[in-house]
Amino acid sequence: MKQLFIFILVAFSMLLSACNSSEGNEGEGTANAKGGEETKGKTEVTFWHAMGGQAQVALDEIVKKYNESQDDVQVNAEFQGTYEETLSKYHSVGGTDDAPTIVQVNEIGTMSVINSGNIEPIQKFIDEEDYDMSNLEANITNYYKVDGKFYSMPFNSSTPVMYYNKDAFKEAGLDPEAPPETYEEVEAAGKAIKESNPEMKGFALQAYGWLFEELLANQGGLLLNNDNGRDDTATEVAFDNEQGKSIFKWIERMMDDGTFANYGTNSDNMVTGFLSGDVAMFMQSSASARDVIDNAPFEVGVAFIPYPEKEERQGVVIGGASLWMSKGKPEAEQKAAWDFLKYLQKPEIQAEWHVGTGYFAINPAAYEEQVVKDAYNEMPQLQVTVEQLQATKPSIATQGALMDMIPEERKIIETALETVYNGGDVDEAFSTAVEQVNAAIEQANTARGE
Amino acid sequence: MTMAISKKLLFYLLLTVSALLVFSPAIIAFLMSFMSSEDILTGRIIPETWTLDNYIKAFERFPLFGYLINSFFVSLIIMIGQLLLSSLAAYAFVFLEFKGRDTLFFIFIATMMIPFEASIIPNFQTIRGLDLLNTYTGLSLPFFAVAFGTFLLRQHFKQIPKELKEASEITGMGDLKFYLTVVLPIAKTSLVTLGVYGFLTSWNMYLWPLLATTDDTVRTVQIGLKQLQSQEQLNEWGVIMAGGLIVVLPTLILLFLGQKKLQKGLTEGAIK
Amino acid sequence: MKEAVMIPEQYKQIDFMKVKKKQKRVRFIKGMLFLLPSILLFSVFLFYPMARTLYLSFFLTDNSGATTVFVGLDNFKNIFTSPIFLKSLQSTFLFVLYTVPGTIIISLFLAVIANEKLTGIGFFRMIFSSTMGISVAAASVFWMFLFHPTMGWLNQFLEALGFEAIGWLTNPEWALLSVSISTIWMNLGFTFLILLGGLQSIDSHLYESAEIDGASYFYKLRRITVPMLSPTLFFVITVSFINAFQTFGQIDMLTRGGPQNETNLLVYSIYQEAFKNYQYGTASAQAVILFFIILLMTLLQFKLGERKVHYQ
Repeated sequence: MKQLFIFILVAFSMLLSACNSSEGNEGEGTANAKGGEETKGKTEVTFWHAMGGQAQVALDEIVKKYNESQDDVQVNAEFQGTYEETLSKYHSVGGTDDAPTIVQVNEIGTMSVINSGNIEPIQKFIDEEDYDMSNLEANITNYYKVDGKFYSMPFNSSTPVMYYNKDAFKEAGLDPEAPPETYEEVEAAGKAIKESNPEMKGFALQAYGWLFEELLANQGGLLLNNDNGRDDTATEVAFDNEQGKSIFKWIERMMDDGTFANYGTNSDNMVTGFLSGDVAMFMQSSASARDVIDNAPFEVGVAFIPYPEKEERQGVVIGGASLWMSKGKPEAEQKAAWDFLKYLQKPEIQAEWHVGTGYFAINPAAYEEQVVKDAYNEMPQLQVTVEQLQATKPSIATQGALMDMIPEERKIIETALETVYNGGDVDEAFSTAVEQVNAAIEQANTARGE
Repeated sequence: MTMAISKKLLFYLLLTVSALLVFSPAIIAFLMSFMSSEDILTGRIIPETWTLDNYIKAFERFPLFGYLINSFFVSLIIMIGQLLLSSLAAYAFVFLEFKGRDTLFFIFIATMMIPFEASIIPNFQTIRGLDLLNTYTGLSLPFFAVAFGTFLLRQHFKQIPKELKEASEITGMGDLKFYLTVVLPIAKTSLVTLGVYGFLTSWNMYLWPLLATTDDTVRTVQIGLKQLQSQEQLNEWGVIMAGGLIVVLPTLILLFLGQKKLQKGLTEGAIK
Repeated sequence: MKEAVMIPEQYKQIDFMKVKKKQKRVRFIKGMLFLLPSILLFSVFLFYPMARTLYLSFFLTDNSGATTVFVGLDNFKNIFTSPIFLKSLQSTFLFVLYTVPGTIIISLFLAVIANEKLTGIGFFRMIFSSTMGISVAAASVFWMFLFHPTMGWLNQFLEALGFEAIGWLTNPEWALLSVSISTIWMNLGFTFLILLGGLQSIDSHLYESAEIDGASYFYKLRRITVPMLSPTLFFVITVSFINAFQTFGQIDMLTRGGPQNETNLLVYSIYQEAFKNYQYGTASAQAVILFFIILLMTLLQFKLGERKVHYQ
């Protein structure tokens, strides 16, 4: 009996001490690696981000540069998974010591973070030193201005653009320098392409709520009522009209023509389809422009996203993510973080970021930098992405909708799009989607318990 | 015992065809890890040019070596913890008779049904409350007790003849001694199986290690793999595949060794 | 007379009962000691979260998971009237129906052919068990390329044979099946390894004596292998069931629950509600339902199955 007890006890304590000792060693090891002595006397800023892949390489480079540029602040950039994972984690540690100083949240998380009450609006720092936000791209900052107040610093930003296969256009007798602008022109181009090459489809639209929102905004349509949720918390959808439905109708027409390629929700499959010549046009984030152009065995064109003929082009809503400051951190730490946020807006840094990742430069002065000019010389198509953003007419539609349940809305729209892709009835799919989004809005509004 | 040649051939044929089928996704990954991204994105099956760039990039992207060591530590700790706790519990369920044993066993099994996604946030709060974020303990502690392991070992312990236990009682052997000197050696194969399983599942864990760590100190390779993927940009599949293969390699070696051990343990432990 | 006899017997019985009681208590404590570490950790990392989940299922929460409004059973009422949830239940059951028998039959076949004593068999065993070493995330990526509508090997193969290409992941009629196929592949290695272990622990004398009697290969398979393997099979079936109900990773990578919610399995739906929509109340209610479904199925399995299992 006793034997057993002692055995368990010993085994267990051995196990745990084994973990602890090894962990102690590791801890020291990395502390040194991070430059343990250097950090002495420096204010440490923890920065949680969701940038994987090439973006992380570019981000780490910038952070390193910043740390070397001055002696007072040490920024530790730490990867926390996808946007969703990062935000869930941030919500769980919000307001505690484990919370980071800066956290990166994607655009649709905006209301969720504001509602959590765990963040310090950066407006406070802007006011303190009269920082001039108007230097930054208005079409980007507009999104992040809530009730006339800046809550977070815009960071990695992108919008969708339309990519097209110039070689295929030539073969089909279309002008590769005059890409289709309207839904109707896209349809016509699709038909021409299919005629010249039956193996190739005309257009692909990934079943992705974000793209629906962008197509809606581009014709001036609102997603949510109460001015896209910006005047007051939205209570129902605002796209239950011809504008909202026109997108579905457009897809249905292309389906009937046999020019629409269905890749479901999978964007990787769609891009591969485009690059291997299965489809001639598709919509995708501008942040992938460089990769798409680089990897295509043919000439790639980049164009503005389309709109219905009878409407006027309004432009695009910004997507991507912004950087938020935690509340309840020591003032010195917040100041240090603010200094880093300002550093990120410098034209030369933004130029590097823009060229290195494909995200926009938040500070338009960056476009005058030599690196950017060189990149545009090499790939003139990249410039189209910026042109589309700058041609956007500021309005409530293009400012974008705000609400904490937008992720859910996107999922519902995706299902509706897929239903249409698989031959479902447009009116039915559309009205089901409207109903479900309205229910989700109601649920979210009750859940906030206000 | 020898087999007829024709029968042997038949088995080899079956084995080879099955192996090809089972392994083909992995072969694709292998080929892709040597392709340039243009080759991958335009849908080539055989690389036009073989390149090692992807491997070089994968090694540059994150502290791969440190992550591998962390993964190894965490998996090892979890494996030992699981073997210890599961074998103790399984022993109690098979060889000890006490009130409420079967109910308790069922409660154990019931824990397998709690979806991990539902318990992960409260567990994160617990680990944070215990101040175990960014430690090996925090990464491994929640996985020490597994109903699955207890269940597996119970099934094997049940096959140990009851007479052995009775004999041990007559000779006055205590339970602990019986557990250590009789049960564990007999159940060697199932212990190896559980060990391999525990090690591999821990090796492949992603969501928990990500939540339970905030910096690179104790992070594991699966997080590294995730770091190779982008959110709004095109994924560099070649690099991801190369990273994936680097991460899979140790587990394949372990499986190969585990197989050998399994067979050896079988011949040695054949007390029956 | 009767009473005179009764009294001493009663005394004896009491004495005996006391000893028995004491023994019982000692055995109970002993059992508990063996179980203590597991119970302790279960309580902290499983029962506590479970209780919390149950609690949350009666509330609405804010985005950080703090309770805001008590709604009683409304969460349950809502999800049971939601066509999306009902669809997700249906998909989950179908998915289990596809993957569990699929995995077990294929793995059993592989285990049987890999159980022969042939040169180089270790290599084949490693290949067959290899899928266990490949993480769900990595495996999903391989399959994503296999399922590619135009360049995937599967469709290229079909087209070479003159068949029409299939929208493996985009066609609602195929998507669940496609995800099931990839899941079977992912689970193959583990199930194979366990079954092989089970096969190897079957006493070879049984086969030898059957051989002397001139039994055929399939007779031996049916009369010796399967019955002797039954404890292992029982284990594998139970675990496969539970795992199938909890499938998540490949859905996120391959279909994100689509097309038209066709592959929106329960755990994926829970993950969506909790980690994307931040509706912890709804997510918890779904988790509670999932828990009870699996509990019920396992209970049934133990009641029906364990009787048939042949322990030595």
